[in-house]
Amino acid sequence: MLLRLSLFRIFESLPTILGVVTLVFFLLHLVPGDPVDALLGENAMAADKEVLRKSMHLDQPLWSQYTQYLGGIAQGDWGKSIISQRDIWGLITERLPATALLAGSSLFLALLLALPLGALAARFAGKSQDKAAMTFSLLGVSIPNFWLGPMLMLLFSVLLGWLPVSGMEASGSLVLPTITLGTALAAVLSRMARASWLDSMQTDAIRTARAMGVSERTLWWKHSARMTAIPVVTMFALQMGAVLGGAVITETVFDWPGLGLLTIEAIQGRDYPLVQGCVLLIALFYVSANLLADLLNLWLDPRQRSR
Amino acid sequence: MFVFKAIPKSVYVCLLPPLMCVLVAAVLSVDSYSVDLHQVLSAASSGHLLGTDALGRDILARLAEGVVLSFSVAISVISLCAVIGISLGMVSAWLGGWVDSLLMRFVDIVLSFPGILLAIALAAVLGPGVDKLIIALSAVGWVGFARLTRAQVMSLRHAQYVEAAIASGQTAPYIAFKHLLPNIAAPLLIEASFGLAAVMIGEAGLSFLGIGIQPPAASLGTMIREGSQLMLVAPMQVFWPGLMLFLLVMAANIGGDALRDYLDVRRSS
Repeated sequence: MLLRLSLFRIFESLPTILGVVTLVFFLLHLVPGDPVDALLGENAMAADKEVLRKSMHLDQPLWSQYTQYLGGIAQGDWGKSIISQRDIWGLITERLPATALLAGSSLFLALLLALPLGALAARFAGKSQDKAAMTFSLLGVSIPNFWLGPMLMLLFSVLLGWLPVSGMEASGSLVLPTITLGTALAAVLSRMARASWLDSMQTDAIRTARAMGVSERTLWWKHSARMTAIPVVTMFALQMGAVLGGAVITETVFDWPGLGLLTIEAIQGRDYPLVQGCVLLIALFYVSANLLADLLNLWLDPRQRSR
Repeated sequence: MFVFKAIPKSVYVCLLPPLMCVLVAAVLSVDSYSVDLHQVLSAASSGHLLGTDALGRDILARLAEGVVLSFSVAISVISLCAVIGISLGMVSAWLGGWVDSLLMRFVDIVLSFPGILLAIALAAVLGPGVDKLIIALSAVGWVGFARLTRAQVMSLRHAQYVEAAIASGQTAPYIAFKHLLPNIAAPLLIEASFGLAAVMIGEAGLSFLGIGIQPPAASLGTMIREGSQLMLVAPMQVFWPGLMLFLLVMAANIGGDALRDYLDVRRSS
């Protein structure tokens, strides 16, 4: 039953994935004027333009460009970068480990901060502990990461000299980017944890258990915690996708050689096929994270299966 | 104007420094573009209350321009998003059938991108300019309004007063404006408030990356970008614009929270 439903959900997401690939394909065709002019400049030699036009299949009708693009993606041929002339897939996979490291550590930090904060806020709802935790959360969602990053650098690298300013070679270079990226995630997650914890305490199940004499302690840490786990796990899975969006800016701030920085470098070099590749990969990862959230929800919450 | 009662004092506290900035700059009427290479990166003085930047331009005047720009871009984007999103959401919910499926499928696809990423990609291919920036941010933002409106209208579709309006022969647009819109205004207002915060961060983020508002215009994002390159020599260059942006965003977030509590709406995801 669970397997069948899961397969159905996976199948259901296929049109969305196709839609994502389509949107990314048309992105290039949104470039005002001729993409070849945009890439080479209007004063380029006609012969050079023709070569590029051919190599990007821009001389063919839109429909056949589209089917070729789809076919290429499906076979793992993501095209070639215009600037380095290298395989896009190769360029991307080179940068993936750095991004995975940053994303992983940020998500870990987010969990580490958010769960205790959320629990504290819910346990002392309306009291000063709650207010403090929610103020942190408010600050976390409101601080732009392209400001938090430089401010952290200023304090810990420039003034105190404890940590390296940027790059990823030096030891401790992961710390500041992780805090920068993880804070906003922690803020969202702790709010969510607090809200769902308070919600679960309002349910009939908890009221019944309380009436039957279950101790408050058991109510909180056993019954309610389990109910809270469902939305929190779902939210966490969703954030696994969102973290890559935030990584684009954080990596730029810290010169962190990941996928996000590659995207920005591609944009600055007007290497549109590479931009397409980066955006597509991040979006596909995001869709997978959403799907994972869905499947986890299905697995954790039996009520979802009956729908 | 019932909503003003809901706004807590902390919103005004957050808005005070940016507002002061704009007012003082207006009173002093310093030009935010005038370059003075004899006064590069100078400290605060009576002539330049917050000092000058790398080209000797007055920071206070540029901050004021940035605040106004940030706010006006945010208002334009949110208005555009609201008009598009609310109309499409209503059409989708009202007509149902294939129109609804098609629109919602499209919304799903747009939501399959991390918002900031799609805005970055769009801004990058559309090229620089405030108008293109507004288009890029709106292209991402309208889906939230569309989804919310659709869900709300669906739940009201069979309310008695709506059925009564249909039975008495009123047209769909009339029902939409007279009956539906006032009843779904509360959650939309909350969405708009959080949306303002998101758009201000989005605009500054794109400008920070160099694909939004272009120099010499003073956007808070471009100022943070320029300032973070000068962090070792002049740390305040990056501090001020970030602080202003942070305060504006926080005001919008607190406002959204307060509205949600006041109007007692539970945010449906």
